[in-house]
Amino acid sequence: MVTIDDKKLIADEKVNNPSFAKTIWREIKHDKMALISLVLLLALLITAYSSPLFIDQEQLQRVNFLETWEAPSSEHLLGTDDGGRDVFGQLLIGTRNSFTIGLSVTLIAGLFGLTVGLISGFFGGWVDNVIMRIIDFLMVLPNLMFIIVFVVIVPNYSIFSFVLIMSAFAWFGKARLIRSKGLAERELDYINASKTLGTPNWKIMFFEMFPNLSSLVIVNMTLSLAGNIGLETGLTFLGFGLPASTPSLGTLIAFATNPDIVQNKSWVWLPAALLILVMMLCINYIGQAVKRASDARQRLA
Amino acid sequence: MSLLNVKDLKVHFPIRGGFFRSVVDQVRAVDGVSFELEPGETYGLVGESGCGKTTTGRAIIGLNKVTGGEVLFNGENLATMNAHERKKHMRDIQMIFQDPYSSLNGRKNVLNIIAEPLRNFERLSPKEELSRVQNMIERVGLNPESIYKYPHQFSGGQRQRIGIARALMLNPKLIIADEPVSALDVSVQAQVLNFMQEIQKDFGLTYLFISHDLGVIKHICDRIGIMYKGRFVEEGTAEDVYMDPQHLYTKRLISAIPEMDPAKKFEKMEMRKEINAAYRTEYDSYFDKDGRMFDLKPISPTHSVAIQQGGM
Amino acid sequence: MVKFIIRRVLIMIPQLFLLSLIIFVLAKQMPGDAVTGAFMGNPNVSDEQMEKIREEYGLNDPWYVQYGHWIGKAVKGDLGSSYTHKQPVTSLLAGRVTTTVTLGLFILIVSYIIAIPLGIIAGRWTDTWADKLIVLYNYFSFATPLFVFALLMLYFFGFVLGWFPTGNSVDVRLDAGSWEYYVSKFKHLVLPGMSGAILATFGTIQYLRNDIIDTKLKDFVKTARAKGVPEGKVYTRHILRNSLLPIAAFLGYEITGLIAGSIFLEMIFSYPGLGQLFIQSITGRDFTVTTAIVMISGAAVIVGTMLSDIILSIIDPRIRIE
Repeated sequence: MVTIDDKKLIADEKVNNPSFAKTIWREIKHDKMALISLVLLLALLITAYSSPLFIDQEQLQRVNFLETWEAPSSEHLLGTDDGGRDVFGQLLIGTRNSFTIGLSVTLIAGLFGLTVGLISGFFGGWVDNVIMRIIDFLMVLPNLMFIIVFVVIVPNYSIFSFVLIMSAFAWFGKARLIRSKGLAERELDYINASKTLGTPNWKIMFFEMFPNLSSLVIVNMTLSLAGNIGLETGLTFLGFGLPASTPSLGTLIAFATNPDIVQNKSWVWLPAALLILVMMLCINYIGQAVKRASDARQRLA
Repeated sequence: MSLLNVKDLKVHFPIRGGFFRSVVDQVRAVDGVSFELEPGETYGLVGESGCGKTTTGRAIIGLNKVTGGEVLFNGENLATMNAHERKKHMRDIQMIFQDPYSSLNGRKNVLNIIAEPLRNFERLSPKEELSRVQNMIERVGLNPESIYKYPHQFSGGQRQRIGIARALMLNPKLIIADEPVSALDVSVQAQVLNFMQEIQKDFGLTYLFISHDLGVIKHICDRIGIMYKGRFVEEGTAEDVYMDPQHLYTKRLISAIPEMDPAKKFEKMEMRKEINAAYRTEYDSYFDKDGRMFDLKPISPTHSVAIQQGGM
Repeated sequence: MVKFIIRRVLIMIPQLFLLSLIIFVLAKQMPGDAVTGAFMGNPNVSDEQMEKIREEYGLNDPWYVQYGHWIGKAVKGDLGSSYTHKQPVTSLLAGRVTTTVTLGLFILIVSYIIAIPLGIIAGRWTDTWADKLIVLYNYFSFATPLFVFALLMLYFFGFVLGWFPTGNSVDVRLDAGSWEYYVSKFKHLVLPGMSGAILATFGTIQYLRNDIIDTKLKDFVKTARAKGVPEGKVYTRHILRNSLLPIAAFLGYEITGLIAGSIFLEMIFSYPGLGQLFIQSITGRDFTVTTAIVMISGAAVIVGTMLSDIILSIIDPRIRIE
């Protein structure tokens, strides 16, 4: 037998079969808006996540009645709030908290929705029927109201329970999407082949079927990341989100429920509102690029 | 003892309807089929699309649920086994699929595709696994350097060879080939068929060959079963069926094979006309009043036909 | 067809039942009950007396008896009474429902008025500058969170420019029924309504644009062109007829979004509708009201979804197979 240089072969095929990450990067590179979005978002996140290095959180939370409602100045870049706390610092911490929560909800809901969707799509039949009836029902619940009700009645309310409540109402759409694609995939012979080769069902689901749906999942997760950040800040804005001790971007915007603050103290809420807007636009733009990359990959396979 | 003995196999699918989606009727996809496979032979299952031949194959390997009857493999009934018991026999029965495009997972490279059965049944080091895969890839006539390639980089014929390599990996005894060449170009079909015959000898395989193509079946099969509407119409050696078809349906099928020789073309046309006339007049002696086939009745040691008891 | 409709209507019954059951269980979990709500902090009522009243009202019965009681009354239109507003929930909600439905209808109608022409333009003249602008707007309306957008609208048009009133649904000094009263109502509606409508166009534009792009490549459209049908007529007669119909059916699916939207809009614009009452009742621990609002909203979504499913099944028979 000829000796074969495996490493070289693997490297060769990597060039011919770019990974999804590479396809996405290529798509983003070719789209100026997406590239700008990515750079902007990364800059934002890096600043927000490294903020504990240069912001003392305890001092930030300390109420200082001598400096309440100060307009932006060189000392307080974006002024101060009702407790004399620095708005700029809260903005950074808030961005970090909001993004972390949005991401956790997306991942938890994504994982759960994916599992339910795969099971429903892979087995079909009565399993699918039961799961779909349940999801049909969950989809018609007015979810924002239910989230708020749960936030109110859950005992020992914490950030963790908030994330779980949000996730509990965020997975059905994904499960349904995965299920409908899964139903189509299960008719394909590669699934049948795996069954006849003795591969266990759970392995077929996660290692045969899932890779064929993965780009769809990634596209969906990117877009719902934006949605979840929006929902978290919205809930915090209404007063049913993060506890006051953990500032979110919504906490700052929540000041805007008072007409006087909306009108005369716009430095408190306006930057946070604009920041959310920019973040949403960036993530969605990247999401669109990811979607195009996934379409391109679909054409190849 | 025969390798595979299918006895009165039935596969029914429920039709749901009405208000509560209750089962109102059954589609009798396979409705009482019996045949035997001797080790080393090639048995052809022929019929028009929708006649239940593919369902028969899928039921034997366990992809469709068996409604009734027995599937005896080496004397053990696969139909009544649960998934766990069945797994022991899984490595002895393998399948080659019709569509070389959808039967290979596009997200996996050739190495991972072919090694899949090995990973389920044997514990091998990556090195052993690699060399087994490379040997097999060479054996099916592909370049061993291509094991890191992905399915979309191969042609249809090459893909089908990958599918065959995957099926052979566990040294099975029986291979169910479901229309293995009908999705391929005619020029490639013969190559793949010859190759299948070659490996049959080398690996000592028994084939259950499912096809709608009478030409292909004639080329490769020792014995043939003709199916229509989920039932057997006629069964016999290739010679029995092609040279001496007894059932009206078989006759129609055989007469439909395109004739290349212009001299015989006219003759064949006449034959078709005759059969069509017979179909109208003698219909009742071949089908019962529900349009269903009669049970098979032997007319020679190797040849049986579905005709009315005491008829003809 | 009839069978599908009947089956679809029948599915609604267990859905409504399950909804009411869940809401009932949740209501039981809420801190305090009607009695605590009504007499809490009243020094003339002792704990023992409260316990007696509980017994009288059946609040100590097993939960399924209580549920039966509650649902029986609810069906008759008795949803209990609010302790903060000191009046029956049903009459409290009546005015709020009208306000919120007006807002919802305004949002729907205006969003269709914006979305349908834009969707058609984008679909018909794909890849022109107009299409690119519309796609950009559509992308913006998809990405922007409603509450952020509504706040910015309030800030600029309400406070900075001062064009519109910044709270309430009408100028309370005006006499109900006068011309000025309705003008004022409309003025109060414009800002929250537009904020909602501008972002609500997303689905419609996206759907129309994609559908028209798909349809215009279909063979029957090519045939129409080949026969010499003028381009304008190809669109009005062949393409739009197919693309516009389903939009009417999507109406019912929008209700969930509208309910969520109304909560944000009514809180931001101090617009006295159901959404605002919901938040007020839950912060004021007036849970009889909360429960009633969630039940009504849930029922509205269930009925809306059913209507949409049925309309869609009439327009597109393929759906009935599922």
